[in-house]
Amino acid sequence: MLFFKPLAGIVIVLTLALLQGCVVTRGTVGEPIQEDAVSAIKKGKTTMAEVVSSIGAPDRIVRGNDREIFHYYYYDGKSPAMMLILLNFIRMDVKSDNLYVFFNRDGIAEEVVYGKRTDRTRFKLWPFGD
Amino acid sequence: MTNVASHFHSIKLVVGTLCILLLCAGCSVRRATLNDVLTPEQVSFIRVGQTTIRELADHIGAPDEVTESDFGVVALYYWSDTKSAGLDLGAIGRLFLPYSPTMRLNKIGITPEQLQVVFDPQWTVRAYGFSRKSTDEPIIWFWPF
Repeated sequence: MLFFKPLAGIVIVLTLALLQGCVVTRGTVGEPIQEDAVSAIKKGKTTMAEVVSSIGAPDRIVRGNDREIFHYYYYDGKSPAMMLILLNFIRMDVKSDNLYVFFNRDGIAEEVVYGKRTDRTRFKLWPFGD
Repeated sequence: MTNVASHFHSIKLVVGTLCILLLCAGCSVRRATLNDVLTPEQVSFIRVGQTTIRELADHIGAPDEVTESDFGVVALYYWSDTKSAGLDLGAIGRLFLPYSPTMRLNKIGITPEQLQVVFDPQWTVRAYGFSRKSTDEPIIWFWPF
């Protein structure tokens, strides 16, 4: 048993030594867009009020081609860093999800455009390469 | 003789490690990316007057912004790859001196890029184009002059 105690101490010290200077940061903007609510929007049927009640008020309202367009967005950022005494590596990866609901003049959804990128956001420290 | 030779190897290793540490001393490398890069090849499917906003979204995802212009509705796709490197020439002094002077060289290259797609009233592509882009800068490039 006595043998294991110094070994445990060495492991703890080595782990702490390896982790010192590590910084992990996560930042988000907005709420994740619920894909169930997006797929529930039926073109030519779902009204503006129903969209607001299922997803919430839009983050932006845009006017285009004489139509109202609701824009919902969500940003997710992951940033690992290694701050050593002599050398620092910091990397940040930010991606966004966007949902647009196009309404006709009667306030009925006529097109839905949704793109999800945040599932590809990674904690990647190495700053070199693509 | 064998003992001297093995010592010489150890000394070489220590000196080599120290040289690498001194070369890296004070270096900091930062990189921030926003969204995925879009290339002209990825949007080569677009046919002016034919491709709709739905087809565009199916291929490259939803735009980051939709706005109205005098020429029609414009969909904007954003991405960027920001590289920053710095060299603190005073960092080595921190190892030996109680006070280390700050002598820092930094360079940041922020390269926001855009794909702009203009639509006609039927939501088909009227025109599209990429923002201008200079050549890729190296990640470690701290000389600011």
